[in-house]
Amino acid sequence: MLLKMKGILVVGPRKEFHNIVDVLYHTGTLHLEDVTDRLSPRTIGLKRWKTEYGDDITALLVKIGGVIRTLPATRVDREQEHEIYETLYWMEHGALVDRVNEVFRKLETTTRDLAARKSDLQFRVAALERYEKTIRKIQPLEEQLPFLEGFEVTVLLIQKEFEDVIGLIGEELEQITDDQFELISAEIDEETIATITVFSKRHADAFHAFIYSKNVNEVRLPPEYMGRPFNEVLELIDEQTRQANAERDSVNEQLASLSEEWYLELSVLEKILIDKKKEIDAFGHFGYTDHTCMVMGWVPEKYLAATSDALARTFGNRVVVTELSLSRDDYNLAPTLYENPRIVKPFEFLMQLVRPPKYLEVDPSPFLAIFFPLFFGLMVGDIGYGLVILGFGLIMRRRFSDLEWLRSLMNIMIICSIPTIFFGFLYGEFFGDLGEVMGWIHPVHVMGISLNRMEAMLPMLILAVAIGVLHVFLGLGLGIMNAIAVQNRKHVAEKAGMISAISGLILILGAATGALPPVLLPAGIVALIVGVPLIIYGGGPMGLIEIMGTVGNILSYARLMAIGMASVILAMVANTLGGALGIVLIGVTMAILLHTLNIVLAMFSPSLHSIRLHVVECFSKFYEGGGTFYTPFKRQERTN
Amino acid sequence: MVDTGVALGAALAISVSAISTAWAQSRIGAAGAGTIAENPELTGAVIILEAIPETMVILGFVVAAMILVL
Repeated sequence: MLLKMKGILVVGPRKEFHNIVDVLYHTGTLHLEDVTDRLSPRTIGLKRWKTEYGDDITALLVKIGGVIRTLPATRVDREQEHEIYETLYWMEHGALVDRVNEVFRKLETTTRDLAARKSDLQFRVAALERYEKTIRKIQPLEEQLPFLEGFEVTVLLIQKEFEDVIGLIGEELEQITDDQFELISAEIDEETIATITVFSKRHADAFHAFIYSKNVNEVRLPPEYMGRPFNEVLELIDEQTRQANAERDSVNEQLASLSEEWYLELSVLEKILIDKKKEIDAFGHFGYTDHTCMVMGWVPEKYLAATSDALARTFGNRVVVTELSLSRDDYNLAPTLYENPRIVKPFEFLMQLVRPPKYLEVDPSPFLAIFFPLFFGLMVGDIGYGLVILGFGLIMRRRFSDLEWLRSLMNIMIICSIPTIFFGFLYGEFFGDLGEVMGWIHPVHVMGISLNRMEAMLPMLILAVAIGVLHVFLGLGLGIMNAIAVQNRKHVAEKAGMISAISGLILILGAATGALPPVLLPAGIVALIVGVPLIIYGGGPMGLIEIMGTVGNILSYARLMAIGMASVILAMVANTLGGALGIVLIGVTMAILLHTLNIVLAMFSPSLHSIRLHVVECFSKFYEGGGTFYTPFKRQERTN
Repeated sequence: MVDTGVALGAALAISVSAISTAWAQSRIGAAGAGTIAENPELTGAVIILEAIPETMVILGFVVAAMILVL
């Protein structure tokens, strides 16, 4: 069901504008409409509200965000946070700006320096790691390295796939140094070759320019490592890494101590600024004249009194709330908000698969709550599977209680498990034919027909198609209601004509095949003759093709029987295969595995087909969608 | 014993419709994967679209069952 909405106009003195907005924001019931768009300029010359605070708030938000992101997050006491929020929120704009600037001034330099130092230290540790790796790679070449004064020693790391470049380097060095150089290459690992070159320092610039132009990875070690044996260098690197890590820990401690002291206030200030920004962003919806300000929007009828009271308490009779008398077209633009009983609530989650309903449309979620579990139960229909699905749903709902979407899905599974158990009882199924084989349960007989799905294939098919007829007719009936709500006579005629024509076809077919008494044949012909002109009036000659489409929709419900049969056959295979294996343990394991697979499939496939039957077969007969969800102007709930 | 013609008819009814469904679903699946990559909000719609061609194989199954049972 959709909640009833009322359109309201709030008019107050212009000088109280910011306070009116604050009260509305904290009451949190108004879905804003753009008042300057909705009120005709001929009625009243309204100007769109623009606020001078927007840039201030954005700049402060950037400043506070910068500081808070530097500090490690600290757990805050929610009550204390709420208390500070309430105190600071109602400060004058100037005082709030001063407060934020003061906090920023106190923290900005310290946090910026600490953050920069931390970042430098992280880079230093990363560089030291890289040096260590390089030196360990070239360590085996140490003995071949001559340490000569006035000579340049360069280490190049070359990937094996570019091995050819070593020849090029040799040729170039020969030219640059006039053949006065040494070049040693050695394989360091499976992918890398280290090449060490030694030549006179006066050729260094020309050589490095060449190396740069060829994009070769040259290892430049810091000067303090030069001229030392590699073992000593590695010890030095180890010592420097330890120092850098110790210093980084000390910086982290300082940041943690600052966070301990300031995080609460900073997080509250950030939240206030975010909320103020949202308020300001909404200002474009408000209008004003020389002396008054106006706010327009939608309020759920049950919150209308609370909204008016909140304004009256603060402003007395200086602010007036007027309930607007709106046309049907206006109401078609009203936002939608579900208000369903607890058992229907989880199915609102499935409604997310389609666009939200328009305000004047019939909300399909209660119908979904009835037929979805029914279809699911018809398809799965097994006491054992129903119990497993029920247990799985309960455990998962408890385990992941903080995940809203999963909780909704599990609630749907729990609801669906009940018809599954019920139909399992009717079909006499407990883990397939296990219950029947063991003599625990037997299929129910109705009018001499056994409801065993393997035997009653044709009756089940007829039942599935009959359910299809009812469900599609329900869709067409709701379509008539929607068409009446928007006063669309042609749609009423088309939907009514379709019901009549399909009923006629069923009666004619039934009477002709002997399934129905022959006396119904004339009634069927009359229904068809009445239906066809109505369809042509409502949907044009092409509307007649829709008759075939609707017949296809109805036949599509055969899946209720077909998918159920696939499920029961797989369950029987699990039992038969399990029983056929000579060793009990292997047989039981095999049966459990196959039943598990079947249950997983049973949770997924029937859900998908059930939702498909609704969205494609039934909703297409009445549902348009394209409405707007009710999003009140208020502080959004935060999860962190 | 089921007549060969009956068995063949039932086999054709289910196999041709199954192959058709598989072909349609492969096309829809490929396009759907692209759609979801571009806009994950359309996941629900793509899942429903993916299930639409299954009507063919279900009707094929029904026809096969009717050939065998009736």
